[in-house]
Amino acid sequence: MKRSVQLGLLFAAAVAAGHVGLVLFVPHFLMSVAAGRVSQDGAAINRFVFGPRTTQNSRGVVRPSPDLAYSTCAFDLSGGPLLIEAAPSPNAGYVSISVFAANTDNIAVFDTAQFPQGIRFVLARKGQATPAGERVVISPSDKGIVLDRRLAPNAALFAAADQARRADKCGPI
Amino acid sequence: MADPNKTSLWAKAATISVGLIVGLLSGWWAITGGMGGQNYSGWYGSAVTGSADAGPWLRARVAISGLLALNKSQAIYLTRKTDDDGAPLREECRYRVTGGPIPGQWWSVTVYAADNFLPLNDDDALSFDATEVARDEAGRWSATLAPTRPEGQAWASTRKAGNFDITLRIYQPSAAAQADFGSIPLPKVTRLSCGEKA
Repeated sequence: MKRSVQLGLLFAAAVAAGHVGLVLFVPHFLMSVAAGRVSQDGAAINRFVFGPRTTQNSRGVVRPSPDLAYSTCAFDLSGGPLLIEAAPSPNAGYVSISVFAANTDNIAVFDTAQFPQGIRFVLARKGQATPAGERVVISPSDKGIVLDRRLAPNAALFAAADQARRADKCGPI
Repeated sequence: MADPNKTSLWAKAATISVGLIVGLLSGWWAITGGMGGQNYSGWYGSAVTGSADAGPWLRARVAISGLLALNKSQAIYLTRKTDDDGAPLREECRYRVTGGPIPGQWWSVTVYAADNFLPLNDDDALSFDATEVARDEAGRWSATLAPTRPEGQAWASTRKAGNFDITLRIYQPSAAAQADFGSIPLPKVTRLSCGEKA
Protein backbone atom coordinates (compact mmCIF):
# COMPACT_ATOMS: atom_id res chain seq x y z
CA MET A 1 0.00 0.00 0.00
CA LYS A 2 1.27 3.44 -0.86
CA ARG A 3 2.50 5.52 2.05
CA SER A 4 0.01 8.35 1.43
CA VAL A 5 -2.93 5.96 1.25
CA GLN A 6 -1.85 4.21 4.42
CA LEU A 7 -1.50 7.51 6.31
CA GLY A 8 -4.82 8.73 4.94
CA LEU A 9 -6.63 5.64 6.20
CA LEU A 10 -4.91 5.93 9.57
CA PHE A 11 -5.94 9.59 9.79
CA ALA A 12 -9.57 8.84 8.93
CA ALA A 13 -9.72 6.02 11.47
CA ALA A 14 -8.23 8.24 14.18
CA VAL A 15 -10.70 11.06 13.42
CA ALA A 16 -13.62 8.63 13.63
CA ALA A 17 -12.31 7.08 16.86
CA GLY A 18 -11.82 10.49 18.50
CA HIS A 19 -15.20 11.80 17.39
CA VAL A 20 -17.29 8.75 18.30
CA GLY A 21 -15.32 8.07 21.46
CA LEU A 22 -15.99 11.55 22.79
CA VAL A 23 -19.69 11.44 21.88
CA LEU A 24 -20.12 8.11 23.68
CA PHE A 25 -17.96 9.10 26.66
CA VAL A 26 -19.54 12.46 27.52
CA PRO A 27 -22.98 11.24 28.80
CA HIS A 28 -21.41 8.59 31.05
CA PHE A 29 -18.83 11.04 32.36
CA LEU A 30 -21.32 13.82 33.10
CA MET A 31 -23.72 11.37 34.72
CA SER A 32 -20.90 10.11 36.91
CA VAL A 33 -20.01 13.67 37.90
CA ALA A 34 -23.67 14.45 38.67
CA ALA A 35 -24.05 11.25 40.73
CA GLY A 36 -20.94 12.19 42.69
CA ARG A 37 -22.35 15.63 43.42
CA VAL A 38 -25.84 14.52 44.42
CA SER A 39 -24.49 11.66 46.54
CA GLN A 40 -22.10 13.99 48.34
CA ASP A 41 -19.09 12.23 46.81
CA GLY A 42 -20.50 8.77 47.39
CA ALA A 43 -21.50 9.26 51.03
CA ALA A 44 -25.21 9.09 50.19
CA ILE A 45 -25.83 6.11 47.91
CA ASN A 46 -29.22 4.40 47.85
CA ARG A 47 -30.96 7.11 49.83
CA PHE A 48 -32.70 10.35 48.96
CA VAL A 49 -30.92 13.66 49.39
CA PHE A 50 -33.36 16.57 49.63
CA GLY A 51 -32.09 19.60 47.77
CA PRO A 52 -32.65 23.15 48.97
CA ARG A 53 -34.88 25.56 47.05
CA THR A 54 -33.40 26.24 43.62
CA THR A 55 -31.75 29.64 43.36
CA GLN A 56 -29.27 31.40 41.11
CA ASN A 57 -26.55 29.67 43.15
CA SER A 58 -27.76 26.13 42.33
CA ARG A 59 -24.88 24.74 40.27
CA GLY A 60 -25.07 20.96 40.77
CA VAL A 61 -26.89 20.09 37.53
CA VAL A 62 -27.28 22.30 34.46
CA ARG A 63 -30.53 24.14 33.75
CA PRO A 64 -32.34 23.61 37.06
CA SER A 65 -35.92 24.80 37.29
CA PRO A 66 -36.52 27.37 40.03
CA ASP A 67 -40.16 26.22 40.19
CA LEU A 68 -39.41 22.69 41.33
CA ALA A 69 -38.14 21.02 44.51
CA TYR A 70 -35.59 18.35 43.61
CA SER A 71 -34.62 15.26 45.59
CA THR A 72 -32.10 12.79 44.27
CA CYS A 73 -31.12 9.23 45.02
CA ALA A 74 -27.86 8.11 43.41
CA PHE A 75 -28.38 4.37 43.17
CA ASP A 76 -26.14 1.32 42.97
CA LEU A 77 -27.93 -1.95 42.27
CA SER A 78 -24.84 -4.16 42.60
CA GLY A 79 -26.00 -5.19 46.07
CA GLY A 80 -29.57 -5.97 45.01
CA PRO A 81 -32.83 -4.27 44.07
CA LEU A 82 -34.13 -1.11 45.71
CA LEU A 83 -37.61 -0.07 46.78
CA ILE A 84 -38.52 3.45 45.66
CA GLU A 85 -41.43 5.32 47.23
CA ALA A 86 -42.61 8.92 46.88
CA ALA A 87 -45.38 10.43 48.94
CA PRO A 88 -47.87 12.82 47.34
CA SER A 89 -47.59 16.58 47.88
CA PRO A 90 -50.42 18.52 49.57
CA ASN A 91 -53.34 19.65 47.38
CA ALA A 92 -52.42 17.15 44.67
CA GLY A 93 -49.38 19.21 43.67
CA TYR A 94 -47.32 17.82 40.81
CA VAL A 95 -44.87 15.08 41.82
CA SER A 96 -42.88 12.87 39.47
CA ILE A 97 -40.26 10.21 40.02
CA SER A 98 -37.91 9.59 37.13
CA VAL A 99 -35.14 7.04 36.77
CA PHE A 100 -32.00 7.75 34.76
CA ALA A 101 -29.52 5.09 33.67
CA ALA A 102 -25.77 5.62 33.62
CA ASN A 103 -25.91 6.75 29.98
CA THR A 104 -28.47 9.49 30.93
CA ASP A 105 -31.50 7.73 29.36
CA ASN A 106 -34.76 8.40 31.22
CA ILE A 107 -35.79 4.75 31.59
CA ALA A 108 -38.93 5.27 33.67
CA VAL A 109 -41.14 8.05 34.96
CA PHE A 110 -44.22 8.02 37.18
CA ASP A 111 -46.31 10.91 38.48
CA THR A 112 -49.03 11.50 41.02
CA ALA A 113 -51.62 12.04 38.30
CA GLN A 114 -51.21 8.31 37.63
CA PHE A 115 -50.70 7.42 41.29
CA PRO A 116 -52.43 10.02 43.48
CA GLN A 117 -51.84 8.00 46.64
CA GLY A 118 -48.09 7.95 46.05
CA ILE A 119 -45.55 6.25 43.80
CA ARG A 120 -43.99 2.88 44.62
CA PHE A 121 -41.86 0.51 42.56
CA VAL A 122 -38.86 -1.79 42.72
CA LEU A 123 -35.72 -0.86 40.79
CA ALA A 124 -33.63 -3.86 39.76
CA ARG A 125 -31.15 -5.24 37.24
CA LYS A 126 -32.29 -7.93 34.87
CA GLY A 127 -32.10 -11.31 36.61
CA GLN A 128 -32.32 -9.98 40.18
CA ALA A 129 -35.07 -11.49 42.31
CA THR A 130 -37.90 -9.05 43.04
CA PRO A 131 -40.94 -9.36 45.33
CA ALA A 132 -44.12 -10.63 43.72
CA GLY A 133 -46.84 -8.09 43.08
CA GLU A 134 -44.55 -5.06 42.94
CA ARG A 135 -44.18 -2.81 39.90
CA VAL A 136 -40.61 -3.40 38.67
CA VAL A 137 -38.34 -1.11 36.66
CA ILE A 138 -35.35 -2.83 35.09
CA SER A 139 -32.24 -0.68 34.88
CA PRO A 140 -29.72 -1.33 32.10
CA SER A 141 -26.91 -0.20 34.45
CA ASP A 142 -25.98 -0.80 38.09
CA LYS A 143 -25.66 2.92 38.69
CA GLY A 144 -27.85 5.88 37.94
CA ILE A 145 -30.04 8.53 39.54
CA VAL A 146 -33.64 8.59 40.76
CA LEU A 147 -35.05 12.11 40.73
CA ASP A 148 -38.10 13.40 42.64
CA ARG A 149 -39.53 16.62 41.16
CA ARG A 150 -42.24 18.55 42.98
CA LEU A 151 -44.00 21.72 42.00
CA ALA A 152 -42.76 24.44 44.37
CA PRO A 153 -42.77 27.83 42.63
CA ASN A 154 -42.70 29.89 45.83
CA ALA A 155 -41.35 29.64 49.37
CA ALA A 156 -44.65 28.49 50.90
CA LEU A 157 -45.20 25.74 48.34
CA PHE A 158 -41.58 24.69 48.67
CA ALA A 159 -41.99 24.31 52.43
CA ALA A 160 -45.08 22.15 51.94
CA ALA A 161 -43.42 20.01 49.27
CA ASP A 162 -40.33 19.67 51.41
CA GLN A 163 -42.34 18.37 54.33
CA ALA A 164 -44.15 15.85 52.12
CA ARG A 165 -41.03 14.49 50.42
CA ARG A 166 -39.39 13.58 53.71
CA ALA A 167 -41.51 10.40 53.55
CA ASP A 168 -39.76 9.33 50.31
CA LYS A 169 -37.76 6.12 50.35
CA CYS A 170 -34.91 4.82 48.21
CA GLY A 171 -33.24 1.81 49.76
CA PRO A 172 -32.83 -1.95 49.90
CA ILE A 173 -36.02 -4.00 50.02
CA MET B 1 18.14 2.67 0.31
CA ALA B 2 14.88 3.30 2.18
CA ASP B 3 11.58 2.23 0.55
CA PRO B 4 9.61 5.45 -0.21
CA ASN B 5 6.35 3.56 0.32
CA LYS B 6 7.32 2.35 3.79
CA THR B 7 5.75 4.45 6.54
CA SER B 8 7.87 5.18 9.57
CA LEU B 9 6.54 4.61 13.08
CA TRP B 10 6.93 8.30 13.77
CA ALA B 11 4.76 9.27 10.80
CA LYS B 12 2.05 6.82 11.87
CA ALA B 13 2.07 8.12 15.45
CA ALA B 14 1.89 11.72 14.28
CA THR B 15 -0.96 10.93 11.89
CA ILE B 16 -2.95 9.13 14.59
CA SER B 17 -2.36 11.94 17.09
CA VAL B 18 -3.49 14.66 14.70
CA GLY B 19 -6.47 12.52 13.65
CA LEU B 20 -7.53 11.98 17.25
CA ILE B 21 -7.32 15.70 17.97
CA VAL B 22 -9.38 16.52 14.88
CA GLY B 23 -11.90 13.84 15.89
CA LEU B 24 -12.19 15.15 19.44
CA LEU B 25 -12.63 18.72 18.22
CA SER B 26 -15.26 17.72 15.67
CA GLY B 27 -17.03 15.64 18.34
CA TRP B 28 -17.06 18.58 20.74
CA TRP B 29 -18.36 20.87 18.01
CA ALA B 30 -21.14 18.36 17.25
CA ILE B 31 -22.42 18.06 20.83
CA THR B 32 -22.18 21.60 22.13
CA GLY B 33 -24.44 24.51 21.34
CA GLY B 34 -27.60 23.44 23.14
CA MET B 35 -30.05 20.59 23.28
CA GLY B 36 -30.62 20.80 19.56
CA GLY B 37 -33.70 19.45 17.87
CA GLN B 38 -36.15 20.85 15.39
CA ASN B 39 -37.23 24.45 14.99
CA TYR B 40 -40.82 25.20 15.99
CA SER B 41 -41.47 28.91 15.35
CA GLY B 42 -38.11 29.85 16.85
CA TRP B 43 -38.29 27.34 19.70
CA TYR B 44 -36.05 24.28 19.48
CA GLY B 45 -36.92 20.89 20.92
CA SER B 46 -36.59 17.20 20.23
CA ALA B 47 -39.25 14.55 20.62
CA VAL B 48 -36.62 12.05 21.77
CA THR B 49 -34.99 14.18 24.48
CA GLY B 50 -34.45 12.00 27.56
CA SER B 51 -35.62 8.93 25.69
CA ALA B 52 -33.77 5.70 25.05
CA ASP B 53 -34.57 6.43 21.38
CA ALA B 54 -32.15 9.37 21.39
CA GLY B 55 -29.10 8.75 19.25
CA PRO B 56 -25.61 9.16 20.68
CA TRP B 57 -25.19 12.73 19.43
CA LEU B 58 -28.50 13.99 20.86
CA ARG B 59 -27.86 12.07 24.09
CA ALA B 60 -24.49 13.82 24.44
CA ARG B 61 -26.00 17.24 23.64
CA VAL B 62 -28.71 16.74 26.25
CA ALA B 63 -26.12 15.53 28.80
CA ILE B 64 -24.23 18.80 28.38
CA SER B 65 -27.12 21.24 28.31
CA GLY B 66 -30.05 19.39 29.90
CA LEU B 67 -28.86 16.50 32.04
CA LEU B 68 -31.69 14.55 33.74
CA ALA B 69 -34.27 15.84 31.26
CA LEU B 70 -37.56 13.94 31.23
CA ASN B 71 -38.96 12.23 28.17
CA LYS B 72 -41.93 13.76 26.35
CA SER B 73 -44.54 11.66 28.14
CA GLN B 74 -43.84 13.74 31.24
CA ALA B 75 -42.37 17.01 30.01
CA ILE B 76 -41.66 18.82 26.77
CA TYR B 77 -38.70 21.20 26.73
CA LEU B 78 -38.48 23.92 24.11
CA THR B 79 -35.68 26.47 24.10
CA ARG B 80 -35.08 29.62 22.11
CA LYS B 81 -32.11 31.96 21.88
CA THR B 82 -33.62 34.61 19.64
CA ASP B 83 -36.58 36.97 19.52
CA ASP B 84 -39.23 36.85 16.81
CA ASP B 85 -36.97 38.93 14.53
CA GLY B 86 -34.18 36.40 14.87
CA ALA B 87 -31.93 38.65 17.02
CA PRO B 88 -30.14 37.05 20.01
CA LEU B 89 -31.84 37.53 23.38
CA ARG B 90 -29.80 40.08 25.31
CA GLU B 91 -29.80 41.24 28.90
CA GLU B 92 -29.97 44.93 27.97
CA CYS B 93 -33.25 44.51 26.07
CA ARG B 94 -36.86 44.20 27.21
CA TYR B 95 -39.11 41.59 25.65
CA ARG B 96 -42.80 40.85 25.74
CA VAL B 97 -43.71 37.16 25.77
CA THR B 98 -47.28 36.49 24.67
CA GLY B 99 -49.19 33.29 24.31
CA GLY B 100 -52.45 31.44 24.72
CA PRO B 101 -53.51 28.16 26.28
CA ILE B 102 -50.60 25.72 26.39
CA PRO B 103 -51.55 22.04 26.16
CA GLY B 104 -50.26 20.70 29.48
CA GLN B 105 -51.15 20.57 33.16
CA TRP B 106 -48.55 23.19 34.03
CA TRP B 107 -45.87 25.20 32.25
CA SER B 108 -43.06 27.61 33.00
CA VAL B 109 -40.59 29.84 31.16
CA THR B 110 -37.10 30.10 32.68
CA VAL B 111 -34.11 32.30 31.83
CA TYR B 112 -30.68 30.68 31.49
CA ALA B 113 -27.31 32.35 31.02
CA ALA B 114 -24.84 31.11 28.42
CA ASP B 115 -23.26 28.72 30.96
CA ASN B 116 -26.57 26.78 31.13
CA PHE B 117 -27.20 27.92 34.72
CA LEU B 118 -29.59 30.47 36.15
CA PRO B 119 -28.42 34.10 35.91
CA LEU B 120 -26.56 35.27 38.99
CA ASN B 121 -29.09 37.84 40.18
CA ASP B 122 -31.04 37.91 43.44
CA ASP B 123 -34.33 39.20 42.01
CA ASP B 124 -36.18 35.99 42.99
CA ALA B 125 -37.75 36.09 39.53
CA LEU B 126 -35.85 33.50 37.52
CA SER B 127 -38.97 32.30 35.73
CA PHE B 128 -42.68 32.85 35.31
CA ASP B 129 -45.24 30.08 35.17
CA ALA B 130 -48.83 29.18 34.43
CA THR B 131 -49.93 30.23 37.91
CA GLU B 132 -48.47 33.75 37.63
CA VAL B 133 -49.77 35.06 34.32
CA ALA B 134 -53.09 36.89 34.03
CA ARG B 135 -55.31 35.58 31.24
CA ASP B 136 -58.06 37.25 29.26
CA GLU B 137 -61.31 35.51 28.32
CA ALA B 138 -59.62 33.76 25.41
CA GLY B 139 -56.85 32.50 27.66
CA ARG B 140 -54.31 34.93 26.20
CA TRP B 141 -51.51 36.00 28.54
CA SER B 142 -48.50 38.26 28.51
CA ALA B 143 -45.26 38.43 30.51
CA THR B 144 -41.99 40.37 30.45
CA LEU B 145 -38.34 39.41 30.13
CA ALA B 146 -36.23 42.34 31.34
CA PRO B 147 -33.45 43.30 33.74
CA THR B 148 -35.85 45.38 35.85
CA ARG B 149 -39.29 44.57 37.23
CA PRO B 150 -42.25 45.83 35.15
CA GLU B 151 -45.45 47.18 36.63
CA GLY B 152 -48.17 44.62 37.27
CA GLN B 153 -47.10 41.81 34.98
CA ALA B 154 -45.52 38.38 35.28
CA TRP B 155 -41.76 38.78 34.94
CA ALA B 156 -38.56 36.80 34.58
CA SER B 157 -35.43 38.77 35.37
CA THR B 158 -32.62 38.82 32.82
CA ARG B 159 -30.29 40.87 35.02
CA LYS B 160 -26.73 39.45 34.83
CA ALA B 161 -27.88 36.97 32.17
CA GLY B 162 -25.75 38.38 29.32
CA ASN B 163 -26.81 36.77 26.06
CA PHE B 164 -29.39 34.35 27.35
CA ASP B 165 -31.90 31.73 26.29
CA ILE B 166 -35.30 30.76 27.64
CA THR B 167 -36.77 27.30 28.14
CA LEU B 168 -40.47 26.53 28.04
CA ARG B 169 -41.30 23.44 30.10
CA ILE B 170 -44.69 21.86 29.52
CA TYR B 171 -45.44 19.28 32.20
CA GLN B 172 -47.88 16.44 31.58
CA PRO B 173 -48.39 17.57 27.99
CA SER B 174 -51.47 16.52 26.04
CA ALA B 175 -51.27 13.49 23.78
CA ALA B 176 -51.59 15.74 20.73
CA ALA B 177 -48.67 17.90 21.89
CA GLN B 178 -46.54 14.80 22.49
CA ALA B 179 -47.39 13.45 19.07
CA ASP B 180 -46.58 16.68 17.21
CA PHE B 181 -44.62 19.54 18.78
CA GLY B 182 -45.63 21.60 15.76
CA SER B 183 -49.23 21.56 16.98
CA ILE B 184 -48.32 23.43 20.19
CA PRO B 185 -49.33 27.11 20.08
CA LEU B 186 -45.98 28.52 21.19
CA PRO B 187 -45.46 31.93 22.80
CA LYS B 188 -44.12 34.83 20.78
CA VAL B 189 -41.13 36.85 21.99
CA THR B 190 -41.23 40.49 20.88
CA ARG B 191 -38.34 42.88 21.51
CA LEU B 192 -39.69 46.13 23.00
CA SER B 193 -36.56 48.19 23.56
CA CYS B 194 -32.82 47.92 24.20
CA GLY B 195 -30.18 49.94 25.96
CA GLU B 196 -30.96 49.62 29.65
CA LYS B 197 -28.65 47.55 31.80
CA ALA B 198 -29.27 47.10 35.51
